[in-house]
Amino acid sequence: MAWLVVRLAISMSLLYTASAVFEDQVGKFDWRQQFIGKVRFALFDTHSQASKKLLLATDKNVFASLNSRTGDLFWRHVDKTGPEGHIDALLMYGQDAVVVVGNGRLLRSWETTVGGLKWETVLDTGSFQAAALVGVQDFVKYVAVLKKSAISLHDLSSGSEIWVENLPDSDSVQYQTIYSGGNGLVLVLGVVPNSHIVIVEYKIEDGEIMNKKSVEAAWMSSLESSCAVVSSGILLCVDQITQSLYTLPLQSAEQTEMRQIHLQTLDLEVVSGFRPVLTSTQPNPAQPPLSEFFLQLSPDHHILLQFKDGLIAPLRDFNPAYLAAFATSGERTVAAVMSPKNDTACSINLFSADTGRRHLDTTIIYHMDPNGGKPNRLYVHAFLKKDDSVGYRVMVQTEDLALTFLQQPGRVVWMREEALADVVTMEMVDLPFTGTQAELEGEFGKKADGLLPMVLKRLSSQFILLQAWLAHLWKLFYDARKPRSSVKNEVTIDVLSRDEFNLQKMMLMVTASGKLFGIDSKSGTILWKQYLENIQPNSVFKLIVQRTTAHFPHPPQCTLLIKNKDTGLGSLYVFNPIFGKKSQISVPALPRPILQTLLLPVIDQDYAKVLLLIDDQYKVTAFPSTKNVLQQLQDTASSIFFYLVDSSQGKLSGFRLRKDLSTELIWEVVIPTEVQKIVAVKGKRANEHVHSQGRVMGDRSVLYKYLNPNLLAVITESTDTHQERSFVGIILIDGVTGRIVHEAVQRKARGPVHFVHSENWVVYVYWNSKFRRNEFSVLELFEGAELYNSTVFSSLDRPHPPQVLQQSYIFPAPINTLEATLTEKGITSRHLLVGLPSGNILSLPKLFLDPRRPEMVSEQSREENLIPYAPEMPIREEWFINYNQTVSRVRGIYTAPSGLESTCLVVAYGLDIYQSRVFPSKQFDVLKDDYDYILISSVLFGLFFATMISKRLAEVKLLNRAWR
Amino acid sequence: MTAPGGGALATRGGATVRRMKWSLELSLGNSSRSRGDRQSKDGDVMYPVGYSDKPVPDTSVQEADRNLVEKRCWDVALGPLKQIPMNLFIMYMSGNTISIFPIMMVCMMAWRPIQALMSMSATFKLLESSSQQWLQGLVYLIGNLLGSALAVYKCQSMGLLPTHSSDWLAFIEPPQRLEIMGGGMVM
Repeated sequence: MAWLVVRLAISMSLLYTASAVFEDQVGKFDWRQQFIGKVRFALFDTHSQASKKLLLATDKNVFASLNSRTGDLFWRHVDKTGPEGHIDALLMYGQDAVVVVGNGRLLRSWETTVGGLKWETVLDTGSFQAAALVGVQDFVKYVAVLKKSAISLHDLSSGSEIWVENLPDSDSVQYQTIYSGGNGLVLVLGVVPNSHIVIVEYKIEDGEIMNKKSVEAAWMSSLESSCAVVSSGILLCVDQITQSLYTLPLQSAEQTEMRQIHLQTLDLEVVSGFRPVLTSTQPNPAQPPLSEFFLQLSPDHHILLQFKDGLIAPLRDFNPAYLAAFATSGERTVAAVMSPKNDTACSINLFSADTGRRHLDTTIIYHMDPNGGKPNRLYVHAFLKKDDSVGYRVMVQTEDLALTFLQQPGRVVWMREEALADVVTMEMVDLPFTGTQAELEGEFGKKADGLLPMVLKRLSSQFILLQAWLAHLWKLFYDARKPRSSVKNEVTIDVLSRDEFNLQKMMLMVTASGKLFGIDSKSGTILWKQYLENIQPNSVFKLIVQRTTAHFPHPPQCTLLIKNKDTGLGSLYVFNPIFGKKSQISVPALPRPILQTLLLPVIDQDYAKVLLLIDDQYKVTAFPSTKNVLQQLQDTASSIFFYLVDSSQGKLSGFRLRKDLSTELIWEVVIPTEVQKIVAVKGKRANEHVHSQGRVMGDRSVLYKYLNPNLLAVITESTDTHQERSFVGIILIDGVTGRIVHEAVQRKARGPVHFVHSENWVVYVYWNSKFRRNEFSVLELFEGAELYNSTVFSSLDRPHPPQVLQQSYIFPAPINTLEATLTEKGITSRHLLVGLPSGNILSLPKLFLDPRRPEMVSEQSREENLIPYAPEMPIREEWFINYNQTVSRVRGIYTAPSGLESTCLVVAYGLDIYQSRVFPSKQFDVLKDDYDYILISSVLFGLFFATMISKRLAEVKLLNRAWR
Repeated sequence: MTAPGGGALATRGGATVRRMKWSLELSLGNSSRSRGDRQSKDGDVMYPVGYSDKPVPDTSVQEADRNLVEKRCWDVALGPLKQIPMNLFIMYMSGNTISIFPIMMVCMMAWRPIQALMSMSATFKLLESSSQQWLQGLVYLIGNLLGSALAVYKCQSMGLLPTHSSDWLAFIEPPQRLEIMGGGMVM
């Protein structure tokens, strides 16, 4: 009978391998959030008053336009990753935004309303230095691009090159900035460090050198960081060693030396160790800059100064002030300054740039997030109000990459968490039960204290449940009377509870900037966030769930291991994943670098799983390390093994735990690093369940799977990258004994290799350099027709090697990432989730990746429902689980089981985050969305009443017949 | 509603009462009263005194009748065996595919012998009068067993019997793991 059921199930699954969503299901259980990354350039579209556009260029090579009223994306262009797509400069004039991309490789002009490309020019090679808009007679017509050894001028409307000139003495002089004051000349400023400044004047029309001079400046090392041009072509520099400002009129022929103004004469002083910063503003590229400028003397001290008639006069001192920025609206330029108000809030005020006077009623209060970082960038959008006064809005970027857009008097218009553009690792945690459910659970958790108190407790908790139910009914009734629009379903931590099928979970996301997020998986709402300060940019994170929500009243517990790559030292951050609060548990000190962690199924008396941390002397630290845990560890030490893979030495080593928490080396496999290097190693997922222990053959015998939980898949790549000699290797090795179970080599292949290791199979993808195509290969391991030991599995007692089957297929697209679906009991058939560079996520049935697919169809293979082998793997559009909701630069896919066996939760992250559910064998355990409840219930009731009536009629008829 | 007089007056209901004023039963006494009541229900036929409506059985046994009984009993006993060729034909016709009709056939084929075997005692009672009662019972039993064997064979050929290891695959528990292992690339 079981065989019949399996057969039916397979034939059903064959019928429904397509897993696309229907049109009316769009957005029902999936959502996508788009991000841009850390903002490097931000410009407000000021050419019309009603404009809502905000142009941003980020370190993720994204150029985007945001709606400044809502924070939503108007459009977004995602360029190549790495230096090729790096955005060097963003300039805006009118409707056009000019972008220099890829270290001066391309010059592009974008139409800002719809985000269309107007023109693109390829620039000459050479490393990019600066770009500037160049205006003639109040009109901006050109854009100048300065490279290391050349300057070129391009037409702003067509992008055509007007002229390109080589810079004189470019091998000794470092040319760094361009200046144009709208007088028909372009000035290029260069510096010979600690010697002199070079100024070259070019004529705009033909690029002829009009003048070239050098000025002594022995103290100067870099122009870019310490100089600014103010007023009508005055170069202003600051030096912290001599504590002076230096001025130089750029176009005067007589002055050959910079004039020194001691900061002391202005009653100013630079804080030692701080590099002072000059900020000037040039509202219109066709006109000279303003004569007012900011000088930052310490991290929280700014001063507004004015240059007039060769003299510098302070206008206003801002102490303390974190950030200051200029903004222009029409003819008026204002300065916004952010000063600390108290511990949790900052106030932003507006000052007129030319006098330093404060504008009345322009305060914006910015409340700092206690779990966030400090503000580090301020972008100001100034506009003229109807009464001709200046209004403004600000965008604040904080250290944790949150963008906050504020308007007066401190209302947060929108907020974006750009840290989520760089998710490093994530986990999904079950939500807790509601308070009442937890109450019931807690009743059973506590120790029994007599019969009567238990009965009373039971009754009281039942009463609470009844109360809650009545309250729920009342709320339903109350809400039903309100118009639908006013009923808001806001998700907050307080109302969060596990749903019937455990489909809603808490997504924990760790980002590269060191910010942690707790996100509701159903709606995508950020429920909590926590910024961990002082995280090195290249730190390695490992997130471990030590206690789930199943152990009420103990709160769930997650541990984040942060390892500093430079020092090798690790630290632990323990927190509650539901509320995001830091746990009060004492964390062990980790004085030595941590190599790896190992989460044991052993639990302490508080139901937290024990985490072992292995340091560089192969000593083990347990966390938590109570007496109970240490006792348990001593008892089980002989069965605890761990492995370490050192890619740089090509060494795989296995260790066994001793009773005193030291370790002994039990095996070692060396893969010579001259030939190949270890790229990746993967075991099986700890929460994976395999329902079926074997496969049913056509003759109804069983081929048992080789389900070794200790099996590791090691992928190696050859060091020789020549296309004829390169290869990709895969080694299946037992992590306990170090025994090599299988070894395979793919010749004329190279990485990057993506692979999944699950159940009894490994699927990997590589690039075939001979045929120039991507190939999938699948390895499946079987024990044979008989199980060696069906009750226990021990790696130490496996005399028979498994049978290994392998098949390869051509995949018609490159891939970014690979993951397999996961369900609660492992009954549902498996699918592979393939993240494609196009941003689509393909749900590929594992059925197609089966090494038993026959080349010739036989009766038996038909009986087994094996698809005949075809080398080409299909990609069907209806297999894309995210239809048109593409995930840019998908970097990882996370799968988690839900409470329903048919359903697997999927989160794809990259630049964007996409959450959805997949049903690899269709929703066999749930009624369909369009299930006709009315029809079914009306038929049922109809039949019921018909039975009742006919029964009555029959009775009457019988009675009548009896009377006759 | 009895009228005074020498005999018992029986009435059959109000309507009758209205039709006839009285009726007289000839048989007297309480013992025959009930019989008279029944007779009056069967019809308005009056039996003469001493008449019995039960036929008197003919007790003399004749040789021809005995043969007839034997024959009849053998018919009963051989019934299941006679059905076997018919069943074989149906089996052949219905084929080995699993669909609703062959399944119904198999169910019927299996159910009938089982039903017959369960009501074995009733059949034995039927065969009581025969002299070869035990032999006939045995033949009947064998016939039914053959019928059910045939049904089982049919089930087997249709693949409905859990005789292969694959049929028990779903009940195999995953083996318990003895070692705990973990680790990874050096962080």
